[in-house]
Amino acid sequence: MKLQHYLGGLEGLDPISLETRVFVEAWEERIFGIHTAMMALSRQLDLETTPSTFNTEWTWADLRKGAEAMNPFDYFKFRYYEKWLGGISGYFVARGYITQAELDARTLTFRSSPAAMPKGGDAAVDARVRTYLMTGDDPKRERPAPPRFAAGSAVRVASPKSVDHTRLPGHLRNKIGVIDNVYPDAYTYLCDTGVDGIGKAMPVYCVRFDPNDLWPGNTETNFTFYADLFEAYLEPATAS
Amino acid sequence: MDRFEYSKDREATNAARAHALEALLIEKGVITSETVDKIMAIFATEMGPFNGAKLVAKAWVDPAFKKLLAEDTMAAVAQMNFPTKGAGAEGEHMKAAINTPEVHNLIICTLCSCYPWPILGLPPYWYKDPSFRARAAREPRKVLGEFGLDVDPSKEIKTWDSSAQIRWFVVPERPPGTDGFSEDQLAALVTPEAMMGVAIVKPPVN
Repeated sequence: MKLQHYLGGLEGLDPISLETRVFVEAWEERIFGIHTAMMALSRQLDLETTPSTFNTEWTWADLRKGAEAMNPFDYFKFRYYEKWLGGISGYFVARGYITQAELDARTLTFRSSPAAMPKGGDAAVDARVRTYLMTGDDPKRERPAPPRFAAGSAVRVASPKSVDHTRLPGHLRNKIGVIDNVYPDAYTYLCDTGVDGIGKAMPVYCVRFDPNDLWPGNTETNFTFYADLFEAYLEPATAS
Repeated sequence: MDRFEYSKDREATNAARAHALEALLIEKGVITSETVDKIMAIFATEMGPFNGAKLVAKAWVDPAFKKLLAEDTMAAVAQMNFPTKGAGAEGEHMKAAINTPEVHNLIICTLCSCYPWPILGLPPYWYKDPSFRARAAREPRKVLGEFGLDVDPSKEIKTWDSSAQIRWFVVPERPPGTDGFSEDQLAALVTPEAMMGVAIVKPPVN
């Protein structure tokens, strides 16, 4: 079990952060922008090719896999964009775009004295990034089969083997809920999660839970919890 | 170094590393020297909470639009002439949860930080914070209280966990004291916090 998959309901935590800024350090914008450019230039997208040398795949799933692979103490220790900085730098090194030695040396340069950023690049790269942001990457597909469940049906949430990435919130595993809404059509996910079960197009449901079933005697009243769940994560409630 | 200790030059090193990475990626032709700035400009002017505020203001003055927003959110968004034309990255499929006198909605993402970019831009730090994501799932009233919002016990709280591909947002209730306000005046009152459910829209202060 990975703590990152089981945040929902965790006890003993701090008061809520009331920080309304998106970025709390100027450098955080840079790593956010790099990540967004990588998503836009990722090779699986059906967008015009550009002179960018980025020729591999990078989606949210890759970023999330990195965060879910972290030691859970580090996950809580490091701020949001610090995790991005670590994961994205590691990706560029692992895929051979840069070497760790290059990155370390350049970091020292920037650390010791303000250095000018290099200039240049092909405008077609930035045009593709803009196109991606304006159009997105639609995961909706035709249904390969009719949905297994209808609104009002009771379902049990599955508990597949823990893998490197999932979209199943841990606090819902094995819990009983009721289908609140069957979304139209079917949805792919960004990668195939293997035995976890998502990736190819499948129906998605909004499932309603009684918080007292999730955290018996240890939640609040007059409160309902809803989660969007891929069909692979649901079984009929009658199944043992 | 101890696991729980931060290096003394934590932020300076982070900044240097982020700039070093960007410089190397520009030199190696992965991105251009304009890429990051252009992305940030889009979020400053084209994809941001200013769009969501317009949606909310329109819903407040136009009951038919509010009904459409509830029933077919994307069709309503498509009427707004936003730069993304009713889609856009992280907004391909959005869904509005409408606050009423009986129901207060709260949007969370327990697995990461899913957020409807085209209409709300990028998520604030409170939304990405693991403590918020963990606690809002189990004790939303207490969490909202820490934000300064006391929800009456008679009002139901609905918490929506964005764990699949749908990006959620809240249409808050119109505050009193805004009769005769234009849509622009109304939109100016709407905050990102209200559109995710950790705040309500307050009456104008005069």
